[in-house]
Amino acid sequence: MASREIAQYPSSTRRVLSVATIIFIAFYLLWTLLPFLIMFLSSFKDLLDAFQLPAPGDWGGVSLLFTFEPTTKHFENLFVDLNFGTYLGNSLIASLGSAAVSVVLGSFAAYALSRFDFRGKNDLFFWIISTRMAPVVAVLVPLYAIFRSLDLIGTLPGLILAYTTFNLPFAIWILKGFFDNVPYAVEEAAMCDGATRLQALRMILPLVAPGIGAFLVLCVLFGWNDYLFASIIGSGGAKTLPPATIGLVQPQNIQWGSIMAAGVVTTVPMLFLGLLIRRYLVAGLTMGAVRE
Amino acid sequence: MVAVNIQSVWKYYGKTVAVKDLNLLCRENSFLAILGPSGCGKSSTLRMLAGLEHISAGDIFFGEQRVNMLPPKDRDIAMVFENYALYPHKTVFENMANPLRLRGVDKAEIDRRVKAAAAMLQIDALLDRKPMQLSGGQKQRTAIGRAIVREPKVFLFDEPIAHLDAKLRAHMRGELKHLQRRLETTTIYVTHDQLEAMSMADNIAVMHEGVLQQFGTPSEIYNHPANEWVAGFVGEPPMNFLNCRLELTSEGVVAVHPACRIRLNDAQRRILEEKQAEPDVKLGIRPDNIAYRAGANSGLDIPATVFVTENLGGDMIVEVTLGDDRLTIKTKIGPIANLDDPCTIAFDVSRIHLFSTTTGVAYF
Amino acid sequence: MTDQTMAAGRGPSADSGGVKRIDYAPTALNPKPSRRYYIWMMAPSIILLAGISIYPFIWLIYMSLHTVGEVNQPDVWNDFKNFTRFATDGKFHNGWLLLLQYSAMCMALEVGIGVLLAVILNRSKLEKVLVTLILMPMMMAPIITGLVWLFLYNGAFGWYHWLLQSIGILGPTSVLGDSDIAMFGIVAVDVWQWTPLITLITLAGLKRVPQDQLEANMVDGAGPFRNFVSIALPNIYPFLLIAVLLRFMDNFRFIDAILVLTGGGPADATNILPVYLFDVSFQYFKLGRGAAIALTLLLVTIVLGMVLVKLFEDPRRKIKHTGFD
Repeated sequence: MASREIAQYPSSTRRVLSVATIIFIAFYLLWTLLPFLIMFLSSFKDLLDAFQLPAPGDWGGVSLLFTFEPTTKHFENLFVDLNFGTYLGNSLIASLGSAAVSVVLGSFAAYALSRFDFRGKNDLFFWIISTRMAPVVAVLVPLYAIFRSLDLIGTLPGLILAYTTFNLPFAIWILKGFFDNVPYAVEEAAMCDGATRLQALRMILPLVAPGIGAFLVLCVLFGWNDYLFASIIGSGGAKTLPPATIGLVQPQNIQWGSIMAAGVVTTVPMLFLGLLIRRYLVAGLTMGAVRE
Repeated sequence: MVAVNIQSVWKYYGKTVAVKDLNLLCRENSFLAILGPSGCGKSSTLRMLAGLEHISAGDIFFGEQRVNMLPPKDRDIAMVFENYALYPHKTVFENMANPLRLRGVDKAEIDRRVKAAAAMLQIDALLDRKPMQLSGGQKQRTAIGRAIVREPKVFLFDEPIAHLDAKLRAHMRGELKHLQRRLETTTIYVTHDQLEAMSMADNIAVMHEGVLQQFGTPSEIYNHPANEWVAGFVGEPPMNFLNCRLELTSEGVVAVHPACRIRLNDAQRRILEEKQAEPDVKLGIRPDNIAYRAGANSGLDIPATVFVTENLGGDMIVEVTLGDDRLTIKTKIGPIANLDDPCTIAFDVSRIHLFSTTTGVAYF
Repeated sequence: MTDQTMAAGRGPSADSGGVKRIDYAPTALNPKPSRRYYIWMMAPSIILLAGISIYPFIWLIYMSLHTVGEVNQPDVWNDFKNFTRFATDGKFHNGWLLLLQYSAMCMALEVGIGVLLAVILNRSKLEKVLVTLILMPMMMAPIITGLVWLFLYNGAFGWYHWLLQSIGILGPTSVLGDSDIAMFGIVAVDVWQWTPLITLITLAGLKRVPQDQLEANMVDGAGPFRNFVSIALPNIYPFLLIAVLLRFMDNFRFIDAILVLTGGGPADATNILPVYLFDVSFQYFKLGRGAAIALTLLLVTIVLGMVLVKLFEDPRRKIKHTGFD
């Protein structure tokens, strides 16, 4: 299972299996990619084209999916009439800002946790990560009250802080893993060479830099994709893409074309970021428990 | 260059004690090896010297200066780590330049000193490489280079050549000793390898379970072990021990073993009387100080039987059975003998050691 | 030289082992060095986290014991009414039941498909390309995922609606409009988005299965299937467990897609507890009741979290590598 080196011997069951495998993969790919494809195509369709559907059982009608006059009017609508440029900017600032704050604060805390042993360290560590695991809905009301009392509702700093609530514990947790992997001897060598404590930390930063960089990207992704905080804490002055897209769902008039276009705008950058940090994705999404 | 003076130093990790009441002096410009098995407290001692560990109790002096509360950077030491601890993202040059840069030495001077050190260590061709591209020996030289560019007051070595292969290790022993003589820097070298300690050091401190067992020159340690443990730890193959009982007979003092009787010489007798030795003793003798001849009645005093012979090329290790005990003998190469072949052996009486069975302390 | 090795006045003793021993303690200990800078490094994070976790938690407890959120009314102590009414709150029971159902279905499908996919991909020459393709759904914002699937399920122009009708497993009602199948509709979305995570984790686990063990087992006569069950599976099992727990907790946390897709309907068929909690707090503004429900949710999360952290420790240790070479 684990490797390609193990010799395989041809047999009839193996042949059947390999055909079944190919069919399975083909179906899975179709299932995975179809929503992307339809979102993408629909964002360039006039609504009349987008709503064209063949009769049930009419398999030839699949061609309708691809027969349309491409139009960019939904994207124009988003950016010209609906102010999505601002929302895009807000998304960018809030997610980048929170990622930066989380990684900077997180690095210090993670370094200290990695190098400093004290009683109750495990409890502290559990508490830190539990703040990340808590269901957002559960703490949204008190958080809203706190943010309101600090006059942070509807502001970008407020949103940055809100995203930091889930990015920071995550950052501490993951970055500690990175620092744990750097032998303490490297800092000791630096200190013997004449470095102060802080200079020694700076010496090992390049060693964890790739991890930190990938992690920053992951924090951006989490912030960017967030909806609950954005809609409650950021409502008003700091609207980001997800709440703005939801705003297009109006009871009498669901603007499907624009929604699909907004979906493309929100999703495509994240697909690229995901590709960029592919190697760290598993570690990131399992809080560092699993590494590739 | 300074003397390093360790005074009544203790090291606690929580409740466990790693170093107990250690007193050691490493004279100016001398080479001190701290020898002991893993977990004996030698590395803790070195790390306390470097300032990487807190000294639980006691004091360490560099010359007249008490360094207990000095951080590593202010101690003016250089340390070579067991796993080299090179900075993987820096080139060999940058690794070696690091201590100088941190001290704000100007660029031309850094260049000059790194190149000089590299030339001395024969790594001048590798200066642009990263540690990943180096062999174990080259990494090791780089780590040493990083230590010597700065001309520190004290060199600290933590098993620096333990991970090299045997041949390279033998070569580096010579080089390190040469380097230390040439630089004349006070050096403290931690190792579990007695060969390294014996071959390089001016003085050896043998430690076990956090306690200093013996301090002395290599020949003192080897020829006059302070107690049974040191005697057993130093020397390869290890010393043989026989439980004997001392008896005063008409021939003088005799150590009686169920399978043999060994008459001690007069000097030894005087020491035993002086120290009021108890009659039960442990007799120790190194494998090279036992003579061996194959065959029954082959001329030596004590008859024994062969257990196994190991051919080492020029030498041969013979294990013989003497009563219920087994002795290891190192001798010139001879015919291979089989299990239970008869043989005779003789002890070089002037080279035997006697230890108290109750305290383990050596009488001589 | 030798005289310097002895502590003045106190002779170390030696025992029958021939080892010199010391059986006294130092007279005084040196003061410990300050570790204050480590504390300063942690302080900003800890303070911030305390502000956003402990404070809200206390607030949550306060709210759960009062009637909160009535317009222009002070908060009133209500004798644990928020908790006692759980006994008669059908939607609360229903919410937990549905949450468990929903999670169980998601987990079973995601693990089943995800592991199968990983085993296939692990042998494939196209592994890199295929993995990159299949992990795309994870990058999509859950809210966008919800909207796209809402579009696909639409009874008038949704392509999946058409597809399901064409293969004859769907009547005229749309997936999300039928209370019997709406749950499957939202499960499908979760499976679509998160199966890749299980696949990635399993792949990482499979790469770590020791080659020599597999070979030894083959030599012992095991076929590929037995080899998978007896060698590979025990090796990837801890990773899978972590993945499942993480997904389980995420089902508590992320309700974005469900809010968009069904909002808990039709007829509460998808009203899993976090969605119900959202309604109580943000639709009816019964903040006290909401807080009480939130506390039950938090309690379960914390227990799950503790289990998870215990699990973390094991594979973490295995994975950890030291040194650079």
